Amino acid sequence: MKSVKDHLMFLLPLLAILISVEFVIVFNRVTQNSEEKLRQSYSILVVSEKVMSPKDFRRIDSHIVSATPIDKKTIAKEIARGMQNAADAEILASLPHFYNLHLDRYLSRPEVEKIRQKLLAAPGIKKVETFGESLRAKYNLFLFLKVIFWSFVGLMSLVSLFLVVKQMEVWQLAHRERMQIMEIFGAPMLLRSGVLFRMGIIDALLATLLVVGLFMVLRYYYAPISGIEILIDRQELLYETRDGVILAAIALGIVVVTVFSVAIRSREERE
Amino acid sequence: MANVITASKLTLAYDGGRKEIIKNASFSVRKGEFVFITGPSGSGKSTLLKALYGALKPKTGTLSVGGLDMGRISRSKLLELRTHLGIVFQDYKLINEWTVEKNVVLPLIIAGYGLDIQQTQAKKLLRHVKLTEQAERFPLELSGGEQQRVGVARALSKNPFLILADEPTGNLDEFSSNVIWDLMENACDQLGSTVVVVTHRIPTIFNIPYRHFIIENRGIYEVR
Repeated sequence: MKSVKDHLMFLLPLLAILISVEFVIVFNRVTQNSEEKLRQSYSILVVSEKVMSPKDFRRIDSHIVSATPIDKKTIAKEIARGMQNAADAEILASLPHFYNLHLDRYLSRPEVEKIRQKLLAAPGIKKVETFGESLRAKYNLFLFLKVIFWSFVGLMSLVSLFLVVKQMEVWQLAHRERMQIMEIFGAPMLLRSGVLFRMGIIDALLATLLVVGLFMVLRYYYAPISGIEILIDRQELLYETRDGVILAAIALGIVVVTVFSVAIRSREERE
Repeated sequence: MANVITASKLTLAYDGGRKEIIKNASFSVRKGEFVFITGPSGSGKSTLLKALYGALKPKTGTLSVGGLDMGRISRSKLLELRTHLGIVFQDYKLINEWTVEKNVVLPLIIAGYGLDIQQTQAKKLLRHVKLTEQAERFPLELSGGEQQRVGVARALSKNPFLILADEPTGNLDEFSSNVIWDLMENACDQLGSTVVVVTHRIPTIFNIPYRHFIIENRGIYEVR
């Protein structure tokens, strides 16, 4: 019973850390996905007196990944519809060139402004329009949620890490006599701390399996019925195979670091 | 014959050097010798033993064990030296969660010996200390005398070049005491180990030649 309690005292904070880490991974994936969608729906409209190629735009700013010319005929037709005598060809000839620019990622307002100024300074470009203020509000909400989420997860992980170290110290105290005897007979630190490593590694693997199990349940059973569009469309956002590897590495890393820190602090002090 | 232990103007102290236990002591022990160290309680017998296995650094002077300067020895070298020592404690210092057999082969486990060698050596030693039947039991299930015999068997398991024993027969019955002295004599006489025993009382019947040091008034003097 005591042994189960000892393991739980280590397992629970480790679980909290791993769940936090997995939530961060999932949250990042979801926000990246949303950012990508924002990026795709976001564009800059450029009016230029001369014909420009995507290469020309990229030379102005490297964030510009594509430049799609807007068909002038459609615009000319729209203008001509209101005029009785105007010929399409005349209007077409007098129209400048319109381009729709796409960026490599969703940029902040100052960054977009910088690009706008660069474009305006380029020869031939008469006007630059940026759109997406409604998208920006959405994006800012994302950023705000991210900060809140990271703060919460960071604090929770810190407290959990503290509990993990404390429990490791309890284990070390419980096995201190054995470790001291082994040290007297010349056992190196790795061998002396073997029992701590064994207990820690078992709990680390158990915690990883539990978290992986939880997120697989979320992916395969919760996501399809969640009613959240992004999760229904892309269930893999909730769990990918490499997440398990990351979680196992983090859990084992925590075990190794805490065992070493406790073992170093408890080694024999020669008077 | 080469010296296994050499002490020159050795001062040992506790409390950051304030409380001197042994002062300016010089002595040496050659390979294969059997040495008894006696003295009144609190005279510093166990302190000297601690210094010999490196748990206490000399305050001044030098102490060399197996050719290594115990004042300057690195932690890794010290751990390596200890794997070649056999140490017996008055309070046994057995690992209570381990069986008798596993306790006996602790030095072999540390040295990385295979399971078959461990088992062979454990069987042989447990036969010598007359505890064959207790191999699978745990230390706390044994009497004090039996536990100390396990401790001695452990000390001998890797044929150490130096055996250090702190009151090995302290409060033991006559049978256990005799078994332990026989083993110590044998280790010295047959295996060539150097043996240093700290004790209140030298056994009345002892079958091999020995030297006798006494610790008194912070000094170490040879009386035989």
